[in-house]
Amino acid sequence: MNRFLALVAALVFLWPPAAGAVTVFAAASLADAMNAAVQRYSGPGLPVRTSYAASSTLARQIENGAPADLFFSADEQWMDYLQQRALILPGSRVSLLGNELVLVAPADRARPVTLRKGFDVAGLLGDGRLAVGDPANVPAGLYAKQALTWLGVWNAAERRLVRAENVRVALAYVERGEAPLGIVYATDAALARGVRVVGRFPSESHEPIHYPLAIVAGHDRSDVRAFMAYLKSGEARKVFSSFGFSAS
Amino acid sequence: MSILSAFEWQALWLSFKVATRSVLFALPLAIAVAWVLARTRFTGKVLFDGLVHLPLVMPPVVVGYLLLLIFGARGPIGAWLYQAFGWRLVFTAAGASLATAVMSFPLMVRAIRLAIEAVDMGLEQAAATLGAGPLDRFASITLPLMLPGVLSGAVVAFAASLGEFGAVITFVSNIPGETQTLPLAIYSAVQTPGGEASAARLAALSMVLALAGLVAAELAARRVRQMLGR
Repeated sequence: MNRFLALVAALVFLWPPAAGAVTVFAAASLADAMNAAVQRYSGPGLPVRTSYAASSTLARQIENGAPADLFFSADEQWMDYLQQRALILPGSRVSLLGNELVLVAPADRARPVTLRKGFDVAGLLGDGRLAVGDPANVPAGLYAKQALTWLGVWNAAERRLVRAENVRVALAYVERGEAPLGIVYATDAALARGVRVVGRFPSESHEPIHYPLAIVAGHDRSDVRAFMAYLKSGEARKVFSSFGFSAS
Repeated sequence: MSILSAFEWQALWLSFKVATRSVLFALPLAIAVAWVLARTRFTGKVLFDGLVHLPLVMPPVVVGYLLLLIFGARGPIGAWLYQAFGWRLVFTAAGASLATAVMSFPLMVRAIRLAIEAVDMGLEQAAATLGAGPLDRFASITLPLMLPGVLSGAVVAFAASLGEFGAVITFVSNIPGETQTLPLAIYSAVQTPGGEASAARLAALSMVLALAGLVAAELAARRVRQMLGR
């Protein structure tokens, strides 16, 4: 019995951490493109480990000491947040990718929407709700709030929102038909078979969507730098653009 | 009172409403199921017992996901409810009550079942020999004797309902004033820059409420035992 317990304890406490692994914390919207990019990577730092969530969640986790080597955020704000707290290497920070904001609907109920000032968002929703990332903290939700405000319909839309914990959850609500409309990134919409893009938000309606990447403070290792260099390389960029991301 | 912000009051008040509805809805069913488990024997009882207790050991997110599949806009029951009555459960407070009811159901059943098993069946048999019918026996003997269990089960389920997170956020999302109960409000506050103080207040509040619930359950049970002269 004691031997068994010792074995369990050994397994639990002494499980060796994967040697040399590079750990990337990336915004939920990057998940599929990042997985594809990681698969093509063959340099030092393998196996590359990834963790996807809303940039807000990841920034909080890094702030509290999560073992991330690289942070790939969906907006500059959360990168600023970490930079102000000296939790990233400022010199390593680059804006790597860009994206667009779109309005999506379930594929079987998709009718084009003209996104002009004062468009009838409440009428379009009927008794349904508008799925977005939580505008209090999720980047996709912050951009959505800016765009709806610019279009003059934020007050009409605010009470009708479903505030998802990250943009992929908002996308899933639309794809399952729980919400008749949602605001997500163009790259997310392209991945989901069950949704159609019914409108594109004008780029001037919100801050430019950039994905900054940086090394987390105290994690400046050669394998981390190698993987970051790979993400900046033409090979990785090709992968990202195949998922619809623009160069930033 | 200015100890809590409007956002925090809203979450607290909503949690009370959701938990109250959840307990009222689940209690009659829990009494019936507890009765079946305590007093009857049938093939497949072990399986039935397991099914009833499943939400206790399953990941809450799985419960929320299953609810979404069944009661969602395209789920078999969800689509029917909407067509027949115009009822929606996804993204509504009623849906939040359903999720918390499912999650706290086993807690309720356990407490009530123990109480039923503790009832002296000799008393019921004596009543039967004196001519009391089955309903009369249940109403005037079994129910009063098992009341402490019912009460403590209801209070524990209420406290657990206040705190249910995974099933709620998966099934009905996180909408302030509609489905954003205490734990979801804490989650949102933790995510938001500058939300730490709010998160800390709400966390302290939910601890106090949970403890108060447990103490109340115990006191209620004692009180009823005294009334019954045991």
